[in-house]
Amino acid sequence: MLSSITQAPVEAHSHNRWEPYVDNGGTSLAIAGADFVIIAADTRQSDGYSINTRYDPKAFELSNKTVIATTGYAADAKRLVEVMEQKAQSYFHKHERVMSTPAMAQLLSNTLYYKRFFPYYVFPILAGLDSQGKGAVFTYDPVGNMERTVYVACGSASALVQPFLDNQVGFANQRAADPNRLLDRETARKIAIDAFTGATERDIYTGDWLEIFTIDQTGVHREKRELKRD
Amino acid sequence: MNRFVEQLAANDVAELGMPGSLLAGPTAAMAGPTGHGLSFELAAGNNPAEFAQHFIDAKSEKDSLIKIAHGTTTLAFKFREGVMVATDSRATSGNVIASQTVKKVIEINPYLLGTMAGGAADCSFWERVLGMECRLHELRNKKRISVAAASKLLANLVYRYKGMGLSMGTMVAGWDEKGPGLYYVDSDGQRLANDIFSVGSGSTFAYGVLDSHYRYDMDIEEARDVARRAIYHATHRDAYSGGVVRMYLVQRDGWVPYPLEDVGDLYYQYHPEVQLTNRTESPLTVVPA
Amino acid sequence: MDPIEFRLPHTIHRPAASAKHGPVTRTTQPIVTGTSVVAFKYKDGIMMAADCLASYGSLARFRNEKRLMAVGETTLLGVSGDMSDFQHLQHTLEGLLTQEYDMDDGQKLGTKSVYKCISNIMYNRRSKTDPLWNSYVIGGIDNGQKFLGFVDLYGTTYQSTTISTGFGGHLAQPILRRRVEGREDEITEEEAVQILEECMRVLFYRDARSLNKLRRAKVTAQGVEVSEPYALETNWDFAESIVGYGS
Repeated sequence: MLSSITQAPVEAHSHNRWEPYVDNGGTSLAIAGADFVIIAADTRQSDGYSINTRYDPKAFELSNKTVIATTGYAADAKRLVEVMEQKAQSYFHKHERVMSTPAMAQLLSNTLYYKRFFPYYVFPILAGLDSQGKGAVFTYDPVGNMERTVYVACGSASALVQPFLDNQVGFANQRAADPNRLLDRETARKIAIDAFTGATERDIYTGDWLEIFTIDQTGVHREKRELKRD
Repeated sequence: MNRFVEQLAANDVAELGMPGSLLAGPTAAMAGPTGHGLSFELAAGNNPAEFAQHFIDAKSEKDSLIKIAHGTTTLAFKFREGVMVATDSRATSGNVIASQTVKKVIEINPYLLGTMAGGAADCSFWERVLGMECRLHELRNKKRISVAAASKLLANLVYRYKGMGLSMGTMVAGWDEKGPGLYYVDSDGQRLANDIFSVGSGSTFAYGVLDSHYRYDMDIEEARDVARRAIYHATHRDAYSGGVVRMYLVQRDGWVPYPLEDVGDLYYQYHPEVQLTNRTESPLTVVPA
Repeated sequence: MDPIEFRLPHTIHRPAASAKHGPVTRTTQPIVTGTSVVAFKYKDGIMMAADCLASYGSLARFRNEKRLMAVGETTLLGVSGDMSDFQHLQHTLEGLLTQEYDMDDGQKLGTKSVYKCISNIMYNRRSKTDPLWNSYVIGGIDNGQKFLGFVDLYGTTYQSTTISTGFGGHLAQPILRRRVEGREDEITEEEAVQILEECMRVLFYRDARSLNKLRRAKVTAQGVEVSEPYALETNWDFAESIVGYGS
C-alpha cells in the first residue's frame, strides 16, 4: 500500500518520532595558569561516519577577555554562541564595560537553564581571567550546571583527554607532586597540543585543525595548527 | 547585511502573510527573566514536557542522548551543637565521572545551606532562585526568613514544574529564631522535617552508619566523625559517589565550612578497620580462645 | 464577569492537548524526494549539478524537475529531499526577493545573507520539531569571494570547498576531495565540468533513485547560469565483470 511505496531512502529512522538532535563531534579543552588561560578546540564537523567539513570553528571570542568553546550539536552550538555574543554586546553598550569572565560564566549557565525543557545539546567550556587576573575555566553540562576548574576536556574525545590532563596538569594521585601547582604558559600549550594529537589518533570525530586561544592581560591570542586529517 | 535581513524578516515578510519569526535569528531564542516571573523556552507541540523527557536523562536510567550531571551522597543531621551537613563530590554523566570536585553544598545565604542530589543544574538553579527569594523576604520583612519558610518556598517553586522532568533531592539546613532547622525537599514537591536525612544513591550506606552511631548529645568532633564515616562508607560502596568529603556546620552565627578530606586518604585513616574484614577467617566466625 | 488573573512568579503556560486544537500533526517523513546535489569551488566560482528526478518512494515519479535555482543575481541554490518543502522555501525566498526589489535601495541580497536566511529558517523549523525535510547547498560569489555552504533539516550548517548531499556524500565526495581539495583556484571550467560529470555518472551507476538527465549550473562574476537538462554518456560494460555481492 502507500506506506510501502513511501519508504524513502533519504533518512533511516528507527524511532517513530523525529529526533531534533544530531551529534557533530569535536573536542575542546582548557587549562588555567596563574596569569593566563589556554582554551583550544579542533575544527572538524562530522555526521556519523562522514566528515562534513574540515574547518568549522568551535571556539569564539565573546569579548577581549573571554572565549567560549562548544562541542555537541553544531546547530545548537552556533545559536548558543550567537545568543551569548548578542548578550555580551548589549551588556557592553548598556554599561560601557566589558562583562567580566565570572559574570559571563553565570550568564551562560542561566542561558542554558532557560532551555531546561528543550535543551541545547552542547557541552560548552568558557575561559578567561577572573577579577584577580588569574586564569579561570568554567565547564557546563547541557542544561547549565556550572563548575569552575583548573583544567577540563569536553566533547567526543573527553574520555581520552581528561585522564591525560588529570595526570599531566592535575598530578592526580601522584603523591610526590603538589596537586595545586599551576603550569607555565609554554608547558600548558605543549600539553594542549599533545592532548589533541593523541585525541586525533584515537577519536574519529577529532582532527583536521586545532585552534588554540591564549588569554592574558594583553588580550586574546589565536594560533591555528594542523592536525591529522584521516 | 544579516541584521538587515532579520529586520526584513521581522517586519515586512510578516506582512506578506508569511511567518516572519521563521527567519528570525538569535533574538527569538533569547529567553530570560520577564517581569518578575521566569520564562522557559519549551518545545512545540501538545506536551512539551513529555517531549523533552524523551531526550533528557534526568534520572540516569535510560540510554538518552542528553545526559545530565548528577549529584550523589549527601547527609545532614541536627545535634546538640547545631546542624552538620556533609556530602561527597562526584558527578557522573552516564558511566563517565564528569567531575570529582563538585560543590554539592550550596551556600544560599550566610545562614542557609542547600544540598545537591539529582540533576545538578536543577539544584543549583532553583537554590539560586531561592537565595533571591530569601533576600527579598529580608528586605520586605526586615528579618531573616525561617528555615521552614525557605524550604517551603523551594518546595512550592519546583512543585509548579511537577511532571516536567525536574530532578532534585535537597536538604535545606539553617538556623533561625527557633534554632536549628532541617528540611528535605524534592522535585516531586515533597517536604519533610526530621533530625536526620541522607539523599542520593549512596544514602542507604550513609544511613547505616548514621543510624548506628548517631546520638543527639554528640559534641562537634563526634558529629564530624559520624558524618565523615557515613560519607566515606557511601563512597566506598557506591560507585556513583566519591571524591572528597565536604562538611559544613550550621550554628547560631551561620554556617562554617571544614577543610576538604580526600576519601583516598580516609581509606588509609580507616585502614585498620578495613584490614580486619579482609582477613581470610572472619573475626565473626572465629571463637576467641 | 471578567476572570481575575493572578500573576504568580515562576509560572509557566503549559499548552494542553485541548479539544479546541486537537492533536498536532506534521510531516514525519519525506514523500516526493530529490536525490544528491554535487557542488564545489573552481577557478571562476562555483559549479553545481543535480538530476531532474523527483521520486515517490521507489517510483521514478516526476522526471523533469528543476532542483537548481538562482536566488537573486549572485546565488545558486541546490536542493535534495522533500520537493514540497522545497517549494515552500522557494515561496518564502520569492517573497523576500520581492521585498528586496521593492526597496529599490541599490542593495542586493548577497549569498551570505541568503545562506544565513535559509539557515535560520531551517533551524527555527527544526526547533518547532516541524522540519523542512531538505538538504540545501548554497553557492555564490559574495564581495568577490567564492562561497559554498550547506544547510540541512537539523539546521546543521557548514562551509567547504566541496559539498555533496545524500548519496553523493558517500559516492561523490571522495572523488571531489581527491580532485578538488587544495586546487580550487586552478581548476578551469572545462576540468570542472569533467569532474562534475564524473561524479554524476558514478551516482547514476549506483544510486537507484537517480536519473541520467541532469542540470549543471555555475556561478561566476558574470552571474548564475543553469543549463538545460542533458544526458551523460554511459558505459555499462563493467557490469559484466562484477561478481558476487555487487552483481
